[in-house]
Amino acid sequence: MTTKRLLLFSLLLFLVAACDREPSERPKAQDSTQKCGAAPLVIRLEGGDWGYPSPFAHYPRGPGGFKMALIFDSLLERDEKGLIPWLAEDYTIQENGLVYRFKIRKNVRWQDGKPLTPEDVAFSFKYADRHAATWSYIHESVQEVSADGDTVMVRLKEPLALMLDSLGRTRIIPKHIWEKVERPKEFTTPEATIGCGPYLLTEYSKEHGTYRFQANKDYWGPKPRIDSIEFVPVSEPILAYENGELDMIAVTPDLLPRFTADPANKIVRNPAFWGYRLLLNQKDLELLRDVRVRRALVYAINRSELVEKIERGAGVPGSLGILPPDHIMAVGDIRQYPFDPAAARTLLEEAGLHATGGEALRLLPSGEKVSMELLCSGQEVRMAELLRQWLAEVGIEITIRSVDGKTRDDRVRRQAYQLAIIGHGGWGGDAGYLVSHLVGDVFTQDASPSASGTAGLVNPELLGLLVQQNVEVDPEKRRQLIGEIQRKAAELVPEIPLYYTAGRTMYRPAKYDGWINMFDHHSLQHSKLSYLERTGPAAIRR
Amino acid sequence: MEMKATEQNRRRFFDYLFTLFIVVSLNFALPRLMPGDPFLYLSGDHGEEIARFSTDQIDAYRHQYGLDKPWPAQYAASLFALLRGDLGYSIYYNKEVSTILLNRLPWTLLLVLSAVFFSTVIGCLLGSLSASFRGKALDRLLYPLMIAVAEIPAFLLGLMLLFFLAAGLRLFPLSGAMTHFAGTAGFWHTFVDIAHHAFLPVLTLTMVRTGAMYLLARNAMTTVLARDYVRTARAKGLSTARILARHSLRNAMVPIVTRVFLSLGGLVGGAILVENVFAYPGLGRLMRESVLVHDYPMIQGIFLLVTGAVLSANFLADCIYRRLDPRIGLSTEVQP
Repeated sequence: MTTKRLLLFSLLLFLVAACDREPSERPKAQDSTQKCGAAPLVIRLEGGDWGYPSPFAHYPRGPGGFKMALIFDSLLERDEKGLIPWLAEDYTIQENGLVYRFKIRKNVRWQDGKPLTPEDVAFSFKYADRHAATWSYIHESVQEVSADGDTVMVRLKEPLALMLDSLGRTRIIPKHIWEKVERPKEFTTPEATIGCGPYLLTEYSKEHGTYRFQANKDYWGPKPRIDSIEFVPVSEPILAYENGELDMIAVTPDLLPRFTADPANKIVRNPAFWGYRLLLNQKDLELLRDVRVRRALVYAINRSELVEKIERGAGVPGSLGILPPDHIMAVGDIRQYPFDPAAARTLLEEAGLHATGGEALRLLPSGEKVSMELLCSGQEVRMAELLRQWLAEVGIEITIRSVDGKTRDDRVRRQAYQLAIIGHGGWGGDAGYLVSHLVGDVFTQDASPSASGTAGLVNPELLGLLVQQNVEVDPEKRRQLIGEIQRKAAELVPEIPLYYTAGRTMYRPAKYDGWINMFDHHSLQHSKLSYLERTGPAAIRR
Repeated sequence: MEMKATEQNRRRFFDYLFTLFIVVSLNFALPRLMPGDPFLYLSGDHGEEIARFSTDQIDAYRHQYGLDKPWPAQYAASLFALLRGDLGYSIYYNKEVSTILLNRLPWTLLLVLSAVFFSTVIGCLLGSLSASFRGKALDRLLYPLMIAVAEIPAFLLGLMLLFFLAAGLRLFPLSGAMTHFAGTAGFWHTFVDIAHHAFLPVLTLTMVRTGAMYLLARNAMTTVLARDYVRTARAKGLSTARILARHSLRNAMVPIVTRVFLSLGGLVGGAILVENVFAYPGLGRLMRESVLVHDYPMIQGIFLLVTGAVLSANFLADCIYRRLDPRIGLSTEVQP
């Protein structure tokens, strides 16, 4: 009998506990507008566990690296327009791109109080070359690194234009902490998050997915504008935003009307740097080696409608120049392919693929029907269905093969596909990715998203251009080469970028309005400059 | 008789051990049979960044985690480690598997145990009531109501509760298992906070599970109430409550206990949808994610835990059966 009473009592207790809280305990949305000398400005963002924010232990996928970057600075930073000097006050590139000299900023201190020296910088490069840092791409390229006075010299094995970006983004770590660490990925003590960046990690919980960052009072650079940044677990971001528990969220197109009318919300379109590609395996499928067939595929696919149907308008149709229109090196004067099934049919006829006797499907000269297998993951089945319909209209049969994501990735890497849909980010990055996009299987030993592309493309002229830009360190000359490559790619159709997503981000400017997008990335909250005063090295460039 | 019982216990023990061995082996093999490996990231989720590794770096990592050794060697190493109680080191999460599990287990336990407890108590109570008023108004009201509630999918129910009770009326927090960054609070405050956060997830799980419990209890009770000894008890003039509590419930308990232990066995997976809806830090989400990223040691660890839960739930059920109904233990002995 007593147990029953106890039970009833605890149930009652539970109910009372649940009801006695007043909504007033919740963080308030509107009234914490930052004024001089007002309460500390706390920004709350959507959390989730993305790993311990050290340069080696955050998870390879997801936004863990941007949290890490709040703690760790690098030689160069990114603003709206490009790379800017950061821990390096200045740099020169010598010997035709073989040698980089960085002048290291003085009076920079680690968060444990010790001074940052050029020796630390040299150590960081050597360390990142030896151990796989998740965000440093200098592996196998560096011949020699040395610190001399206030300068760090990096000599490459061979010139590589995108090394400025790679060296510039490599996180600088304190030698006195890391020199003893042999397994950096497993080094997750508090020491592992001592950097020299604008924020300190004060709390992290793996199981709850929470992070708390506090402004670094002794930061060498522009003053942090937000006192603390809190990442908290979120079930429904929209509800949390309306309740004032979150200060920034992504809004889907169907929810936009609900918020646009209210001037308290500011809605920004993200640059379109996350995209889907249709890979064409020319090695496996002889048919695809005919450029007319590849062009016919582009004409037959309605890329604008993909954006409308799949993303409900929140995207940009794929550009055959591969670089998305928002990319700083994208050119406009490339061959355009509007949706035109008639043009597709004509091209296929020219290529000798005829539909005879009123048949819906075209036949190869050998008499077999024109049929291709389209590989995709479960998430892209709708997209694949649309492609199947459109291609059927021009007489090409598509069999959809939907597998789980890792299986698809594995088959793409082994080039065991005919057509494949693959989606990934990084489209805003240094245009050098065109090399691995287009001839990844020839050139790089890279297991990266962009290196997964375009099996069997053989075109000496395009190859020549790609090699040239790879070693060209003059920014203007390189820009021209990249433009030329885009024009050439649009002619040759080595792959079909389907579309780039361009979501909307919403926040309350009255609470904080310092958000900016980096030139090469799509998220306001990922930009370090979003949290800093725009002075000194971070000053706004005209 | 004594001898026989020990013999039987030993047989049962080896049965369990053998099952465990099979499962451990499957746990080892299945993740490795999936295409791809823990270091292959070609595609990302929507809007997600992925870090790149060179093939050399991937080889270095494969070596570090022993994935470059042939399967039999890896298998032997993982078995020996397991015997030492070492579950390995998670490739993706960069932490000991056992630590990750231990940090998450309490949250899942809290959700599932509370839900099993409340749904069993409420289900049995309503089921007994329904059975004793069978065909009357109360039964006719309860029966369709419970079936209807049980048929609502857990995530939908969770979302509805979230929308109305948390977002609309603001009675409960929207997500998570506790208030974060609130500074240090006393034990009582923390306790209340955790209960407050667990309320909606537990309510969801309880509502979803009560229907089945109710039906089971109602059936079992109906059968028992039709027995002669209940009629005798009634004839003695005992009150309905006493008949239900003392004379019927215990006899109707066997199928209910089975169900309770089945629920406990399904501990880890059981709450996954609800954990997702409320962003609750349980094991279900961990399981899903580690399969997605092919984190072999993590997958092995979680499934070992699941296996352990199922086996020990079975074992406990075995023991409790025999106490509830002594005939179960005897019946095997009567066999020639």
